[in-house]
Amino acid sequence: MHAFELEDFFERLDTGLSATAFQDTLRTRLSGTIDTEFYHFEQPAPGLIDSKIDNLFDPRLTLFLDAQIGSHIYFFTQSRLDRGFDPSDHGAQVRLDEYALRITPWDDGRFTLQVGKFGTVVGNFVPRHLSWDNPFINAPLVYENITAVSDKAAPDSPRDFARSFEANAKYEFNPVIWGPSYASGISFSGRLGRFDYAAEMKNSSLSSRPESWNATETDFDHPSFNARLGFRPNQMWNFGVSVSDGAYFRTEAERTLPRGRDIGDFRELVFGQDASFAWHHLQLWAEVYEARFQVPRVGDADTFAYYFEAKYKFTPQFFGALRWNQQLFGTVSNGAGGNIRWSQNLGRVDIAAGYRFTPHTQLKLQYSFQHETTGPRDDNHLFAAQFTVRF
Amino acid sequence: MGLRGLLFFNAIFALLPITVFADAVVEGHVELPKSHSAPVMAKRYEIVTIGGVLSPQPPLAVVYLDGSFPKSTTTATKQIAQKDLAFLPSLLPVQVGTRVEFPNLDDTYHSIFSYSPAKRFDVGRYRPDERPIPSEVFDMPGLVTLRCDIHEHMRGLILVLNTPYFVVTNPEGRFRLGGLPSGHYALKAWIDSKTTREQPVDLKADTVLHVDFP
Repeated sequence: MHAFELEDFFERLDTGLSATAFQDTLRTRLSGTIDTEFYHFEQPAPGLIDSKIDNLFDPRLTLFLDAQIGSHIYFFTQSRLDRGFDPSDHGAQVRLDEYALRITPWDDGRFTLQVGKFGTVVGNFVPRHLSWDNPFINAPLVYENITAVSDKAAPDSPRDFARSFEANAKYEFNPVIWGPSYASGISFSGRLGRFDYAAEMKNSSLSSRPESWNATETDFDHPSFNARLGFRPNQMWNFGVSVSDGAYFRTEAERTLPRGRDIGDFRELVFGQDASFAWHHLQLWAEVYEARFQVPRVGDADTFAYYFEAKYKFTPQFFGALRWNQQLFGTVSNGAGGNIRWSQNLGRVDIAAGYRFTPHTQLKLQYSFQHETTGPRDDNHLFAAQFTVRF
Repeated sequence: MGLRGLLFFNAIFALLPITVFADAVVEGHVELPKSHSAPVMAKRYEIVTIGGVLSPQPPLAVVYLDGSFPKSTTTATKQIAQKDLAFLPSLLPVQVGTRVEFPNLDDTYHSIFSYSPAKRFDVGRYRPDERPIPSEVFDMPGLVTLRCDIHEHMRGLILVLNTPYFVVTNPEGRFRLGGLPSGHYALKAWIDSKTTREQPVDLKADTVLHVDFP
């Protein structure tokens, strides 16, 4: 098919999927992506990949609905048909991952209120986490590296906490931030001069699993409070600091907590710094996170994670990207007078290349090498390919 | 300056160099497609949301005289700005060899690119105060679709023509194309990438010909 015919097809599709009503007061647009992903890795599967098969095929259909009601109300949803929120070898499932109503009372952007289920305001990864915008196929390490913390059960002892988890039980444990953290809640945000601010109250902490993000699954008895303050001296630079404080246990963990303590007593505290730079065909991002989990029968479990990411467009259609990630873990008391590292330190390098055939089709290839610097487990090599059709 | 003002100046400047040397005029009306609604902007992951509604971009047509004309010996320069998260003007006809500048008049980055066969380019992200203003020379005839890598809803069109005789209609479809050479030509109305209408015309000096494209 000729390139123009293909572009015309997508333009007509875009027109067909847009609708207006009430003299253009309500305007809606349906759009989406079809992602076809292939992963090859070694066991145990790295990150949040939940598969016992080394070669994983993971297709995904994502539909977005954007609606503008008048000039100050905006509504959006994101629904997906795939094999699970994270790449997995499970069967197909349909989910409503995001929905939110946004009210912007003033035109200058000083204040916005949003209610629903949506990505966290913490850090600078969420705005580029979707397949079309993310130069890589996976997320930075801190958003997907499983730690020894579990939101489903409290450890019996420090040694129980710090022992390596079994690969087949990996999904019982949590990273510092679970992907874009589409938890439910309310946020307010805005810009004041060169500063921008955002704060949110969500029903679950940054480390919480996708099942916990639904308001029907987790109520607001133990909310998480997150905030980010940004400074943008000019279009090139963007700096931010983020904080988060939230209870991280799910309700089923309550029976495993020490007598007299409840879920609200054990919190995930996160402090983050982010920076980004863009000029001409170069884009850079960096985030640094310090996180503390208050763990029953153990004490404070601290971790430090960071990454640097660069993307460069070599030609209008071809880009390359490089990311260096590292996560370091502190020690906790082993209960016998000594200290023990509570998870394995590791580093990971991600290399990706992407080619946009048209404004609607993109192919990405990625290689990642993960190395545990303190653990007995083998290194892991990940090869991934992702073909995206955007409409 | 509004869209209509820019289109007016664009049409005037397009005609200025040739009105001195030629004197036939064609005027008329092009039946334009139904007006589009304002696009819906995806704001899902924007921390700072500006209120308001994007301006709808009315359908316009380009009327041009097709034929074999000498190429311009100088490089003309035109502009398509990015203002209020839209391309302004949204449709720009240029003669082959024209340089088009892309000034950013917004307080945010844009990243303009085109994958059209007539011109593939990506100017990247640049500050509004950067000089020189990013520009491209359009040296192949054809339709070039402009997009922004950051703002998915943005669309602009550059119609690169072999002829120096062209004009953009007003939003009602009316046009006046002056300074034309005498002779037998095809007058074409480009309406969209799928639709170009054509009428044969006999142009005579000091006459005004009326042509409609229903």
